[in-house]
Amino acid sequence: MRRSDKEQIIGYLLILPAVLLVLIFLVYPFLNSFYMSFHKWPVFGDAKFVGFKNYIKVWKDDQFWNSLYFTFLYTITVTPMLFALAIPIALLCNIKAKGSTLFRSVYFFPVVLSFAVSAYVWMWLYNESNGVFMYGLRYFSIVSDDYNIWLERNSSLLAVNIQITWKFFGISMIILLAGLQSISDDYYEASKLMGASRMQTIWNVTLPLIKTSIVLCLILSIAGSMQVYEPFLIMTQGSPANSTKTLVMHIVDVGLDYYKLGPSAAMGTTLMIILLIITSLQLSILRKDNK
Amino acid sequence: MKRFSSDWYWYYVINYTLVILIIFPIYWTFISSVKTPAELITSDPTYFPETWTWKYYFQIWNYDLSSTWQLSSDDYMRLETKSLKESIINFFIPNEKKSIGRAFWNSCFVSFGTILLTTIVCTFAGYALAILRGPFKNIIFLLIITPILFPGVSLLIPLYKILKDIGLLNNLYGLIFLHSTFMLPLGVFMMRNAFISIPSSLREVAILEGTSELQIILRVLLPLCIPGLLTVMVFAMYVSWNDYIFAYVFVTTGEREVLNVALAKIALGGNEFDMKWGSITAGSVISFIPIIIFYTFLQQYFVRGVTGSAVKE
Repeated sequence: MRRSDKEQIIGYLLILPAVLLVLIFLVYPFLNSFYMSFHKWPVFGDAKFVGFKNYIKVWKDDQFWNSLYFTFLYTITVTPMLFALAIPIALLCNIKAKGSTLFRSVYFFPVVLSFAVSAYVWMWLYNESNGVFMYGLRYFSIVSDDYNIWLERNSSLLAVNIQITWKFFGISMIILLAGLQSISDDYYEASKLMGASRMQTIWNVTLPLIKTSIVLCLILSIAGSMQVYEPFLIMTQGSPANSTKTLVMHIVDVGLDYYKLGPSAAMGTTLMIILLIITSLQLSILRKDNK
Repeated sequence: MKRFSSDWYWYYVINYTLVILIIFPIYWTFISSVKTPAELITSDPTYFPETWTWKYYFQIWNYDLSSTWQLSSDDYMRLETKSLKESIINFFIPNEKKSIGRAFWNSCFVSFGTILLTTIVCTFAGYALAILRGPFKNIIFLLIITPILFPGVSLLIPLYKILKDIGLLNNLYGLIFLHSTFMLPLGVFMMRNAFISIPSSLREVAILEGTSELQIILRVLLPLCIPGLLTVMVFAMYVSWNDYIFAYVFVTTGEREVLNVALAKIALGGNEFDMKWGSITAGSVISFIPIIIFYTFLQQYFVRGVTGSAVKE
């Protein structure tokens, strides 16, 4: 046996564990969710092919549309909030000064904390009688004494959005910052020579130059928000009256609590298609930028 | 841009304000966990604890988190402070089977397993992709890298079925496999890049000297891939320690629960008010500590891993 042949065999052996894991836990479930969505899954007995029946069932399900609507609502409200914090802080971090790296690492810090545990922390801050956040709101007379933030859909949504913004603006901030740092100083020099004010420079020079980073953050935020689950599962549990139930929450409930695997898989596939469209959009933008 | 000294004044004022705002929830969590029950529920919150107490930590570390999880102030009063030696023994061997202490060690086990498995699998696969030739190499690479596009949450139902079929449901090893797999696409990609960036002449010299393939990886090449390796390890820890969905859906037996899920029992449970929030903040601090330690020392790898996973380079 030639040495290079032996090398190739060793290569295939070394890559085998990775291939197996990916096949078993990613590719197979991916294909299986398509398969399941076209079958009826009785508690006993074999699966039966039913065509698009599961999808039709899902389309007639009011809660599916409510959840999808709420997930969209969450996505279009949380994204501007993330940007409102991420862009100014990225600009701030781009200034080279003493302590700027320390500030940056503090801003990124909430990102590394767990979704679930940061949700518990914020539940305590939002607690109606002793939460310090509510105390602050009462102090400035924004809310009445016995105000409970979880009793209405919109206030619950806002509460979760604030928590998510706190937790996640760091990722957008770092991506935008990478974009900012790639801008050559020449642009700023030119802008200064033309007598532009600082706001004009930011608006007309800086932001257009990091357009790709902004679009990338936008798509990331949209794709991530569409999959939202833990914050609402922990903080609202879908209440009041299922009005804050997200799509993923509904998928899990239908699949595992009611054991309707077919419709659940059909919803999962729908979500996956939506997300694949968003992600492929992201990749095509990146590819265009690299050219 | 010319800046005046008043600009620098504002630079620091804004930055310090933001730092305070962002750190405040974490600071508040910590001081809530060391306040006494009475101080915790006063209508005028204190911004620094008047009396410090670590009783919540001792209590949730040992308390039975079975389905009827009820903690009362009486339990709290009965709790005695232990000697240092007892406390240390107790830290490693929590009293009850379904306590936060137990859940903490479960989480450690899963995170450590994930780091180990991910590191081994990604290193081998990355190395293989660097030495393999021919058309299969690209097909395999695509096979591993494409699933980065699959959203994990939409695979929950089929994953549940698979785990059930292969008997890994309700099993910590099942979680290790899942966390590692979801981390693989990015990890393999990073390790492949790390190995490719090393000049191939280094490997050829080692081969001529008669070094075995495994020794080449471990002794010659891996030391040059430390940054990539650390990114993969830190990101594996991040994924595994912070996972909630998989643990919540796939591991439902009390004594195998991981920390994040066990804490939900307190957060959403119906125990007495003052005990609940003291316990949950103490539990949150326990969950934050490993991440804070890792973040302090390996911050750049965290940033690279977490944003890398988001950007999908």
